[in-house]
Amino acid sequence: MRNCRVVCGAVMLLAAAMPLVLRASEFQQPTPDELKMTVDSAAPEASAVYLYYEEIDNDPLHYRSIYARIKVLTDKGKDLATVNLPYLRNDWKITDIAGRTIHPDGTVVPLTGKPEDLMSSKSGNREVGRKVFTLPEVTVGSIIEYRYQIRYGDNHFSSPLWQIQRDYYVHKAHYVFTPFENFMPHPNQTSSNYLTDAKGNVVNTLLWWFNLPKGSGVAQGMNNYTVDVTDIPAAPDEEYMPPIQSVLYKVFFYYKSAHNAQEYWTNAAKEWSKDVDKFAEPSNTIKQAVAGIVSPGDSEQVKAQKLYKAVEALDNTDYSRAKSASEMKALKIKEARHAEDTWKQKSGSSEAIALLYLAMARAAGLTAFAMKVVDRDDGVFDPSYMDMDQLDSTLVLVGIDGKGVLLDPGQKMCTFGQVKWNHSDAGGMRQSPQGPGYEKTPGQLYSDNSLQRDGDVTLDANGGMTGYFTFTLRGQDALRWRQEALKSNPDDLKKGFDKWVQPMMPQGVEGNVDHFLGLDDPDSNLMAIVKAKGTLGTALPKRLLLPEVFFESRGTEPFVKEAKRLEPVDMRYAEQITDNVVYHLPAGYTVEGAPQDAKDVWQQHAAYVLKTQIAAGQVRVDRVLARGFDLATADEYQDLRGFYQKVAASDQSEVVLTLAASGKGN
Amino acid sequence: MQPAPDWAVTAAKIPTPADVKNAHSVLLSDEYLITVDDQNHAVERERWAVRILTPEGRRDAHCMVEYDTDAKLNYFHSWTFATDGRLFQAMDTDFKDVGAGGDVDMQSTDRFRVLNPPGADPGAVVACETERHMEPYLSSEDWEIQYPFPVVNESLELVLPAGGHFAASWSRYAPVKPIETPEGHLRWEIKNMPGLDLNNLHATPAWSALAARMSVKWGDSAVNGIGSQWRQIGQWMDQLEAHRAEPTPEITAKAQALATGAPDFYTKLSRITSYIQNNIRYFIVIKGIGGYQAHYAGEIFRNGYGDCKDKTTLLIAMLQAIGVQAHYLMVDSERGVIDPQAPSLYGNHMITAIELPAGENDPRLMARVKTTDGKELLIFDPTDEETPVGLIRGDLQGAYGELADGAASQVIALPVLKPDSAGLTRKGSFVLSVDGTLTGDLTYTFAGVEATDERGSLKEQDAKDVRQSWEQGLGSALPGLTLSGFEFRNTAGLDKPLGLDLQVSVPSYARQAGTLLLVRPRVLGSDARNLPGIMDGLPRLYPIEMSHPGVWKDSYDIKLPAGYAVDETPDPVTVDLPFASYSSTVAAKGDVLHYEREYVVKQVEVPAADAAQFRKLEDAIVSDEKGMTVLKKLP
Repeated sequence: MRNCRVVCGAVMLLAAAMPLVLRASEFQQPTPDELKMTVDSAAPEASAVYLYYEEIDNDPLHYRSIYARIKVLTDKGKDLATVNLPYLRNDWKITDIAGRTIHPDGTVVPLTGKPEDLMSSKSGNREVGRKVFTLPEVTVGSIIEYRYQIRYGDNHFSSPLWQIQRDYYVHKAHYVFTPFENFMPHPNQTSSNYLTDAKGNVVNTLLWWFNLPKGSGVAQGMNNYTVDVTDIPAAPDEEYMPPIQSVLYKVFFYYKSAHNAQEYWTNAAKEWSKDVDKFAEPSNTIKQAVAGIVSPGDSEQVKAQKLYKAVEALDNTDYSRAKSASEMKALKIKEARHAEDTWKQKSGSSEAIALLYLAMARAAGLTAFAMKVVDRDDGVFDPSYMDMDQLDSTLVLVGIDGKGVLLDPGQKMCTFGQVKWNHSDAGGMRQSPQGPGYEKTPGQLYSDNSLQRDGDVTLDANGGMTGYFTFTLRGQDALRWRQEALKSNPDDLKKGFDKWVQPMMPQGVEGNVDHFLGLDDPDSNLMAIVKAKGTLGTALPKRLLLPEVFFESRGTEPFVKEAKRLEPVDMRYAEQITDNVVYHLPAGYTVEGAPQDAKDVWQQHAAYVLKTQIAAGQVRVDRVLARGFDLATADEYQDLRGFYQKVAASDQSEVVLTLAASGKGN
Repeated sequence: MQPAPDWAVTAAKIPTPADVKNAHSVLLSDEYLITVDDQNHAVERERWAVRILTPEGRRDAHCMVEYDTDAKLNYFHSWTFATDGRLFQAMDTDFKDVGAGGDVDMQSTDRFRVLNPPGADPGAVVACETERHMEPYLSSEDWEIQYPFPVVNESLELVLPAGGHFAASWSRYAPVKPIETPEGHLRWEIKNMPGLDLNNLHATPAWSALAARMSVKWGDSAVNGIGSQWRQIGQWMDQLEAHRAEPTPEITAKAQALATGAPDFYTKLSRITSYIQNNIRYFIVIKGIGGYQAHYAGEIFRNGYGDCKDKTTLLIAMLQAIGVQAHYLMVDSERGVIDPQAPSLYGNHMITAIELPAGENDPRLMARVKTTDGKELLIFDPTDEETPVGLIRGDLQGAYGELADGAASQVIALPVLKPDSAGLTRKGSFVLSVDGTLTGDLTYTFAGVEATDERGSLKEQDAKDVRQSWEQGLGSALPGLTLSGFEFRNTAGLDKPLGLDLQVSVPSYARQAGTLLLVRPRVLGSDARNLPGIMDGLPRLYPIEMSHPGVWKDSYDIKLPAGYAVDETPDPVTVDLPFASYSSTVAAKGDVLHYEREYVVKQVEVPAADAAQFRKLEDAIVSDEKGMTVLKKLP
């Protein structure tokens, strides 16, 4: 629930005049079918189902009322008997809690215990509490019902956020929102009352955004808005899903000082761009700093790189520690309001450092614009949902030799010319000579992100091995480990890297990083020297069997196990993995059998090549898996899965070695 | 800003010991002062100073104090000595209060005040001072003298009222004598305590089962002798729960109705324990003394929910209603945490000790203990909804518990059950096609702890999630697997093994290598434990946890494709050690390849000195599990 502050006094009068119409629905009588239900045919494997869910929001009366009827079908479903209601202690009140349990035989056990009021957290004046109650005598087969009301202050207005899709199947749900009179679908008259938002703007429009099943929508009554839905499946849970909030069914209402999306984003973009320009003003301090970094004769490329290096060298508090308010007060430091403050403090957040770079680039005479994009780790930008809070990361677009180069200076250790994956293929807005507007950053190329694993494996006759590998990381993997190094000491970094490497190793083999090369230099490849030892081969009396593919023999390829797909696939970024491994065979062994070379292609998306070369005393295995996509639709899933199934099958191949006629002897 | 107090200035000057390596922080000084008044109410002050050594060490400088309605916080101050000589004093905005708990089924009124210290960068020293009232119903404190990081100086001072007395016991640390000046003012000091860091060590006992601590008691709790102290704790528990386990008429009626017609003692018990397991939901909000004291049995019975103390209370009441005596038994959810040599309230779980009638020898009642006064007790955990009466979970086996039985209260060792009390048997019959596809049926039979774990998993997940997690687990071992049949048997009857029937199909199970076809006779299941460090032969300081005794068996038949014959099979394996044994064979009979193995765990842990033997066992298992059979095409 989002709360805004302050309404004028007239609204309070309005509230007092409204009748209390939607208070406290009575509990519904269960049907015989509901009582005797043991499995729900609509959700046959569910632990519980919502038989009914209702939310009534009445902003003029400053309250919302929730009512739930739940059928418990398994032991896990009994967890729903405990209801946790978080709330803001100073602003909200949770009242009128009532509930009951109905046994399968129809016996009704009312909730008589007093709800507990626990503190979740308190910081300054902000206190988050929890009302907790548990329904009595809940068993498998029970129907549990409860309702409660949330009341908020008369000087606040609040618009609802309806999470239509829940953790459990919903048979039927009913939502009603009554806004202030001016925002009703068919107001009787235009009131002289008005609302103001936190910035003092007059709020003139009620907007809503929804993601609902086909055939459902927001209905407009005389005084309110309603949503009625039936048969809502439980929230999906699939591997490599986009952020969950981007796929769930839900409805947001929000008051805005705009009439439509275009107007909202136009105004929001102008306001954002103005704030950016104000912060990133190339002041004299900035100009002097820039003059000390770049030379007049430097090319645009060199200037951009030198400035990038300079801001990357600053203390980025997102990777170290942000100073607390008390510390800043003691140090007589003020919150940065302009780029020059960040430069003077030699410290700032990712956001402040990105804007500092923008200021310095402009001071150096480069054409530079800011971009504000969604963090793909958290969400997917939707322009039809009018909220700037969707966008949380600032990038800089610099003109170099007539071309725009997108930079991510707020990301410590990010290579010049690259952005972190969660800022690629990401929607948002950008400044431009024509003014600010919508933009989406390009997706990453597989050639920009690569992991190459080269190595030699020396085998003994019992299947034991020692190996020496060079892992060469470019792009996102390199960035990840360089950023990890900023927060870890060398030993912990190695331990973390070992944990990443271990699932790549065959069963019975342990790999440990010996040292890194290029860890501090984002302009070079990051290399990790990995030593491995253990038992790789399977020794039979006459033969020795080896996994053909050293690094993927555990069969960890994705999607192989899931036949169906509901949601899109989000693999974050495109990449290429290349392996070149040479097995040095034990004395006396030759190759008796080896798999055929393999090649698979998923057109326009991915390719796989596996090749084995046999020479005297050694077997060389080369493998390439290139994935050129980061996102795929659910419709493409069967092609994607088919590709990975073939990859997984090839990766499980074996090489058979046999001992020459002289015999294994001892 | 107030200047830092002298104690903090002094502590901040303590140098980091030269032998501190790889630590993220060092606790320079940690001083407790417990002042007990003549009403036995105690106030505890703690002063401590942490030097941050690495960026990760900042987390250790987030000083924290726990408080509650019964244990009010008087004050919490903090200062940071930055590396550049600056001094910061924490302000109100640097503190945050956080409520404890938040789990669906376990919530508490406990709160923590947590500091986000200003200036907390590597090299800085953060000094904190708190003072809080101790819970009025307690007259003891557990002094934890070991941390994951090293400590230079630590002390505990106890100021007793005139004529007051104390008792101290030490766990995993040689007892230290207190300095007493003046009378009734005692001070224990410890220097240079190494950190106990178990990160990256595998299969160790729980951290709290290895860390050193001291328990100090005053007032009535302070009695001489270990046995007397345990007895006193048990009597205190009995007193706290007095009358709470008295059966109401409704409880008596229910218990007697359940017991009526039971053919034997086991059945009688089982009907009552099952009732509590199935009908009393685990849930509680703990308020103050509610962390130690149960609700009344009648209230628990009426509500249909309660925590571990409540479930034990209701069980005692129901058993009492049918003439069976039972007692509270305080344990910890991790083996080894309760130390019989260090009497204290250091436990986090309550279970039940049921008195067995003389001569009751039902073999299903395996979890038996004999007390020093000759009573035979059956140990049972009513909170554990998946373990039948007669058995106990693995983490309780070999642990210690405090029995509350009036003057007969004592610490008791919980039994380690026999291997045949638990385990898993897998049987499979498959057909291998010439293209390498394997199809067939599998049957799993879970017993004892394995059945408990699997039933727990069934309870905690939706049926869809259960199936998916099995598909994923099996798919990891058998890539591309399709599950056409999936059905559990005996999910509810705890006294029967849990069964699972599967029908599987796995493409490319057999791998072509030239003219050869390679088949892994061990189709499924792994008994191997990948324990880095141990397997590398690094010195082992701590025992290796084996969880619990049990027997794991696999038996698979694979019908081979026409036109192929077995050319080579892995050698049989046999390893027999004091703590475990393993054997396997692969044999070809006609066109059927048969694999059989048995893994028996006999103990709950392996002594550190036997790490090499453990390695030998694991090497044998890993090698066997990788074993392949080579099929050759007949000419």
